[in-house]
Amino acid sequence: MAAVTVTDWPTRPPSRYTVPMGVLAYRGVSKRFGQHSALDGVSLEVAQGEVFGLLGPNGAGKTTLIRIGLDILRPDEGEVSLFGAAPTPHMLDRTAYLPEERGVYRRAKVRELLTYLGRLKGMKRAAAAAAADHWLERVSLSRVADQRVESLSKGMTQKVQIAACLMSDPELCVLDEPFSGLDPVNVALVTELIEERRRSGRTTVLSTHMMHQVEALCDRVALIHRGKLVVYGRLDEIRRRYSPHEVIVWTEMDLLALGVEATQHKAGGWRVELPASATASGYLNELVRNGVLVDRYEPLVARMDEIFVHLVSGEH
Amino acid sequence: MRIRRIAAVARFELLSVVKRWSYLLATFGLPLFLAAISGIVIGLQTYFFSQRAEESSQFGLIDEAKVLDRSLFETQDGELRWKANEGADEVLLYESREEASKELGSGRLRAMYVIEQDYLANGQVRAVESEKTPLLSMRGTSIEPLLRKLLRKSLVQGRLDGDVKERVLSPAFFLRSRLGPDGDEVVDVDEALDLLVRTSIPLFLGILLLTALLSASGYLVQTVSTDKESKIVEVLLSSVTPEEILAGKLFGLGAAGLVQFAAWSSMVVFVAVSASAALAGVVSIPWGALALAPVFFVLGYLFLGSLMLATAALGANAAESQKLTMGWAMLAILPLMVPVILLEEPNGILGQVMTWIPFTSPLTVIVRLAVDPSGIAWWEVGGSMLVLLISTWLSIRIGARLFRVGFLLTGTMPSLAELWRQAR
Repeated sequence: MAAVTVTDWPTRPPSRYTVPMGVLAYRGVSKRFGQHSALDGVSLEVAQGEVFGLLGPNGAGKTTLIRIGLDILRPDEGEVSLFGAAPTPHMLDRTAYLPEERGVYRRAKVRELLTYLGRLKGMKRAAAAAAADHWLERVSLSRVADQRVESLSKGMTQKVQIAACLMSDPELCVLDEPFSGLDPVNVALVTELIEERRRSGRTTVLSTHMMHQVEALCDRVALIHRGKLVVYGRLDEIRRRYSPHEVIVWTEMDLLALGVEATQHKAGGWRVELPASATASGYLNELVRNGVLVDRYEPLVARMDEIFVHLVSGEH
Repeated sequence: MRIRRIAAVARFELLSVVKRWSYLLATFGLPLFLAAISGIVIGLQTYFFSQRAEESSQFGLIDEAKVLDRSLFETQDGELRWKANEGADEVLLYESREEASKELGSGRLRAMYVIEQDYLANGQVRAVESEKTPLLSMRGTSIEPLLRKLLRKSLVQGRLDGDVKERVLSPAFFLRSRLGPDGDEVVDVDEALDLLVRTSIPLFLGILLLTALLSASGYLVQTVSTDKESKIVEVLLSSVTPEEILAGKLFGLGAAGLVQFAAWSSMVVFVAVSASAALAGVVSIPWGALALAPVFFVLGYLFLGSLMLATAALGANAAESQKLTMGWAMLAILPLMVPVILLEEPNGILGQVMTWIPFTSPLTVIVRLAVDPSGIAWWEVGGSMLVLLISTWLSIRIGARLFRVGFLLTGTMPSLAELWRQAR
């Protein structure tokens, strides 16, 4: 699949230029380290208020892409737009980042660390301290506020980092593997926090290998492989695009006896490959017209993990 | 750059360091420790010498060459004795080695000296100590110069007359004076002591300046390594620019270093004031050097610190960062590698050259100002500050770029060309 290319991106938007709706946009971004090309002409846009999934195998270039978006690294080629303009240090106050290789000052006390990180986001000392207390309560860690970070468990430390990330109520939040190391209760808590952000119109970029979380949370996704953008679009559309032209039919009747070419599906129904010209709804009408008593009917939609494996294992 | 962010980083770094026990101990404990050590050493020395003064020390002398003037000896209890000095040292004249050896073996004598038969030809005097005599007790005594005096007196007796004889025995009495604003004033002090007090305070101040500089720079290296090893770098860089982090760390840890230097300098002032009170006219407090020391500390620290930060950021861990920054530290130490030249000839060619090199100028200027304030021109002080300022500006600019690249580096360090490409 060819990488998406956009050619009409101006270096500096003229006054009549319509500012893109994207909170974060990349246009033809390339970056190399020595001989290694980390990113090659990547263009994509993260829209306001969505949960955007950034997917890809290890070493695909996701972290480099995030770093460039947050002005931590500069691209060799291409343009980045943050909140509709080239990134500036002031814009970073409206963003937050939870890196995959996350770190903390282990000898610092929890409240002290959060207050400091809040101050770095431009919050006043009192506001940062209040936000630290509020977010520690949100992640059920108020009791450890005055403990050193080094005394916390891995999961607790991770929640402190998530609290640090969300405490400035950023318009754009980039979360790299936010669920790793969390128990199911805390996974549910973080999921709820992300949903809450969406409800309040805040944008979240979610980079994760947990595909069921992507399916549950993301509106749109981009898949990077070997520095190139290989898939980009709405999650449901992508899933449909990579789905087989098949349906599952649950019925008490024997479809094979009725002359339908079907196989038994592991979920209990009959798996039927549709003719190329047929649609799922049309085929259902046809089944009913032919007297099949349908208990349940479902077009077969590919799971994100299947699409991921399919795309990165070179089968596409 | 945003001042409030820099202040937030600086405050955090400052508090992180000053809360450490190691810092408190080094800053306030070191002066107390040195004072305690000095007190103990001086106390022990005083005690040792007072004990020595109370001891009676007797030495045996055998004149096989027959050169001694026996009229210089007094007869007491059937023995010939020479009161060597105002103290208790006494020389007993023996007729034979055996007799003196017996007394040495019994412990009465601390040592015996034999003026051997061919003394006039080769000047040899054999010094014999007993096994019981501690090595230092004889070496440390002042008897040997006095024995030389006794021999000189004996040798000139009857051979020279009047003033010539006196001048042979005491060729010169040096009257020391120092040129001051009111002409030259006589100073009654030993030359060695004079040199010692004139150079020890500047040297002390210089060492403290350098130690404080390297200590503060060491904190910088440590904090960068901590940030990299704890992997908090990306979190910081997603909020503040590398330049703001660099500036915040420089200022925060510089403040910690300045407090340390102030505490240590107060010790120098205390020593200088005490020495000045005790040895008026010999020790002058180097007020000029003391006043400019904080300025040179700050400038030197900003210059060296920004280079250290940038270089330390290229290391993957603390050990690697230490190795990478060692070169800068060695350059800063350079003036202390040639302390004798700098102290004896502060305004010589070496001192003048090192005044203009930003790595060496803080220490050199302060030592030159402390040793001989009249020997360094105002334009040299001002010029060295200007060079240091320009170098600091440059090192912060280059340092910030390297810091940006280095801060995110992990694993193998890229080539210099690649570093430069990333830093542009």
